[in-house]
Amino acid sequence: MQNITRIYALSKRNIILRYKNSLVGFLWGFMKPLLYLLIFIVVFKANSGVHNYILYVTSGLVLWFFFSNVTGQSVGSIVGSSGVLKSLNIPAYFFPLAETISELFNLLLTLAVFLLIMHWWGIVYSLQLLLIVPCVLLFAIFSLGLNLLLSSVNVFFRDVGIIWGTIQPAIFFLTPIAYAETSIQKQYHLIIQCNPIYYFIKLGRAIMYDPVAPSWHMWSHCLIISAFMYITGQFVFNRLKNQFISAI
Amino acid sequence: MNSDIIIKVENVHVRFWQNNVGVYSLKDLITHRKSPFKTKTILNDISVEVKRGESMGIVGRNGSGKSTLLRTIAGIIKPTKGKVTVNGSFAPILAIGAGLEQELTGFENIHMLLALYGTARKNGNAIDNIKEFSELGEEVLRMPVKQYSSGMVARLAFSISLANAADILIIDEVLAVGDQGFQAKCIDKIHQLKAQGTTILFVSHFPEGVLKICDTAILLEAGQITHRGPAAEICENYKQLF
Repeated sequence: MQNITRIYALSKRNIILRYKNSLVGFLWGFMKPLLYLLIFIVVFKANSGVHNYILYVTSGLVLWFFFSNVTGQSVGSIVGSSGVLKSLNIPAYFFPLAETISELFNLLLTLAVFLLIMHWWGIVYSLQLLLIVPCVLLFAIFSLGLNLLLSSVNVFFRDVGIIWGTIQPAIFFLTPIAYAETSIQKQYHLIIQCNPIYYFIKLGRAIMYDPVAPSWHMWSHCLIISAFMYITGQFVFNRLKNQFISAI
Repeated sequence: MNSDIIIKVENVHVRFWQNNVGVYSLKDLITHRKSPFKTKTILNDISVEVKRGESMGIVGRNGSGKSTLLRTIAGIIKPTKGKVTVNGSFAPILAIGAGLEQELTGFENIHMLLALYGTARKNGNAIDNIKEFSELGEEVLRMPVKQYSSGMVARLAFSISLANAADILIIDEVLAVGDQGFQAKCIDKIHQLKAQGTTILFVSHFPEGVLKICDTAILLEAGQITHRGPAAEICENYKQLF
């Protein structure tokens, strides 16, 4: 119970810090996806061959920006909390966890607005939309695993954050968000299939964009990937955590 | 364990990986092509017992392991070998600016830290007590902590740490900042807590401070306890190091 209060306090701090000195506050969260959407409409829409392109892109962007924000902020979360970690007996994993929770909160707000606005772009309101909740949870567990990995390694090698910022755009463009999966040539399909993000975007899109329910196949892919990522992240984190205090 | 003994440290060793070739980035790791880490012993076979209500000073040169010992006792660092048994609760370690978030205001920091320390809402007057003890006005507490002077930071940190009733208070070289009035107030407060039976661990570079607060003391040299005894005697030993 005490731990829940602590994680809540940290998550709240993150949300306050994030919107602290910005004039439009929460609206900033929408600026980036909106800007991307406009660029994609200009650049890709005509040749995409995608039916209802705006809904297609936005459903992918909402999930992508959750991932991009949460990993970007978690990388430095342990290094940035040295004051608390050095003065209080508090588990270090609270920090990447709180980042994930505050970003999840943000995603829920974004999704609510997105679902309302997409009414004009032909989203079908049905009970199937509720499946977005387990989908987002799986994606969050995957992200948490990656956050544990990145934030703990970053304690010892401070350029992890920079490297991650560099490869993120590559992952973004290797995920079919702005373009249709079918526009990738056959011989390159393997590259896309090795990208774990692809499976989550695909699942989210099946729920929000396609009128058909996602197959068990898709669910199990996401389940396996997130379980694997979480276990890996937790394992690395546990191996390193006793050395944090001397390195931060 | 004897109930008179509140802290029992048995043969504790703490070793850290030390980055000894200046490799802080993956790029360096690749160009150096060797492991950048070497194990360094910070605490070497430390055994000490602290009685309930005792106030023990810890003195020693820079880098002798004082802060590491405090953190190991508080459970923040897990010993590589050995065992620490504690029979009571801790207030957060008092170090300069400990845990304060620069971007948040004084009030936001108070709320966050109280929740982290586990005081939470059940103690409704905690915030009033902090306001009163720190003597920082409403206006100051609404400013981000980054705009505070170091003395104000010390006031806030000290007041927040003291807002929690705990069996053990750990003070790591914090009284050096803050003006004389506040220093005197802190020492009064520490004496008051001591009279109530709080156990105190106090690290300082100033023997006068240790003499004012502590009954007993230990002298650390290179991660080992070389002297243990009455505070006055240990402070003499400490002065002879230089």
